[in-house]
Amino acid sequence: MESTTTSVPKSDADNWENFRDEDTMQQQSAILAEEAEKIPFIGDKEPISALAVEYQSGSPILMQKIKVLDEQYSSIRRTRGDGNCFFRSFMFSYLEHILETQDKVEVDRITVNVEECKKTLQNLGYADFIFEDFFALFLEQLESVIQGKDTSISHNELVTRSRDQSISDYVVMFFRFVTSGEIQKRSEFFEPFILGLTNSTVDQFCKSSVEPMGEESDHVHITALSDALGVPIRVVYLDRSSCDTGGISVTMIFYTPSNACRLALTLAREDGSDLTRPYMD
Amino acid sequence: MDAMKGKQGLTNQLFLFNPSFIGSCLSQCSRLLALRMSTPARKRLVRDFNRLHQDPPAGISGAPHDNNIMLWNAVIFGPDDTPWDGGTFKLTLQFTEDYPNKPPTVRFVSRMFHPNIYANGSICLDILRNQWSPIYEVSAILISIQSLLCDPNPNSPANSEAARLFSENKREYNKRVRETVEQSWTAD
Repeated sequence: MESTTTSVPKSDADNWENFRDEDTMQQQSAILAEEAEKIPFIGDKEPISALAVEYQSGSPILMQKIKVLDEQYSSIRRTRGDGNCFFRSFMFSYLEHILETQDKVEVDRITVNVEECKKTLQNLGYADFIFEDFFALFLEQLESVIQGKDTSISHNELVTRSRDQSISDYVVMFFRFVTSGEIQKRSEFFEPFILGLTNSTVDQFCKSSVEPMGEESDHVHITALSDALGVPIRVVYLDRSSCDTGGISVTMIFYTPSNACRLALTLAREDGSDLTRPYMD
Repeated sequence: MDAMKGKQGLTNQLFLFNPSFIGSCLSQCSRLLALRMSTPARKRLVRDFNRLHQDPPAGISGAPHDNNIMLWNAVIFGPDDTPWDGGTFKLTLQFTEDYPNKPPTVRFVSRMFHPNIYANGSICLDILRNQWSPIYEVSAILISIQSLLCDPNPNSPANSEAARLFSENKREYNKRVRETVEQSWTAD
């Protein structure tokens, strides 16, 4: 029995049918690995002016919008454009917020919501062992940013963990489970948005666009996650659109669950390739 | 004591389920239990194993290799009342420590004639590639492959001859499938 099944035997190399598909897969993962070296899951803090340098030769509207952002935010963090960027930035923003505020009331509140999300998945027929590790890992991170315990972590450690694939991927999957559960639970509400977006059923949408890693997030995902966890999210779109009035403003979309109490911020670039996290002064 | 009790329980189940291909389960069960506290991938595979045996889907069986929980053997029986009826098709599933965040590499050991199965046995199935998600446990993977047998996707052919016959000459296609079924009884 082969110990690994990823290598293609040499004798098959002439037969393209044997390795065409796997070759493509290997190429894809090579490209991802190359990308990974360039940008970590969560980048270091950079001034907004770093964006301006990048777009210097680009559209003047973008340059004006970056200027507007510079007046409102002090810095950004880039995230890797691997399709999970929204969830990774949300993870970092939220945990950093708890680390900085030490808001135990919020921790208790979200813990209740997480428990509710677990019940949602159970009611939908998901077996506990399919999702429990992902839930446990998120709750562990949440607990560790509260200071004063043996397991407490520093801000530096939070950055390190957010860049650690084994932790980050698990938390991303936790969010994907929560998002999928919320969409299915309230399928009547989400159905028209999903039909408009992909022409698929709610179930198909969750299976193909929410639950697999690397599937990008759109309004439906963000709304569902925000509602399920009760955390408001602001997405800032840095695109080339301009206003009729002649003035330049940056499109901001607010996702506000009814029981909202805290603010997490993310910033999307026009191509969706990276989400950055502005800091309020 | 608890470990002994668990071992006994698993053993009983394994005797109920005993394709010769799987074999040597007894020593493996104690190893599975010994691995209970190891890496997330191994822990998850133990639970996949329990699930598969507590709630075995029709026409599907599978178990890890003796002394290697990351490598599984499985058998898929051809669905009744289809050209695949009666076939016993063997597969291997190779997992990595990235499981369940990454899919296993699944390959047919039995020779197959199917539009989405390559000559070397690897399978062109979206959930094993870009549509993978940790929601799929071993049982779900094998069910998906079983349903792929009768419901090929001719748009992503891995075997061009099978794909062509499937859409142009169903009679000849079914004949080739029946040959594959017969081969599956005799091949190692």
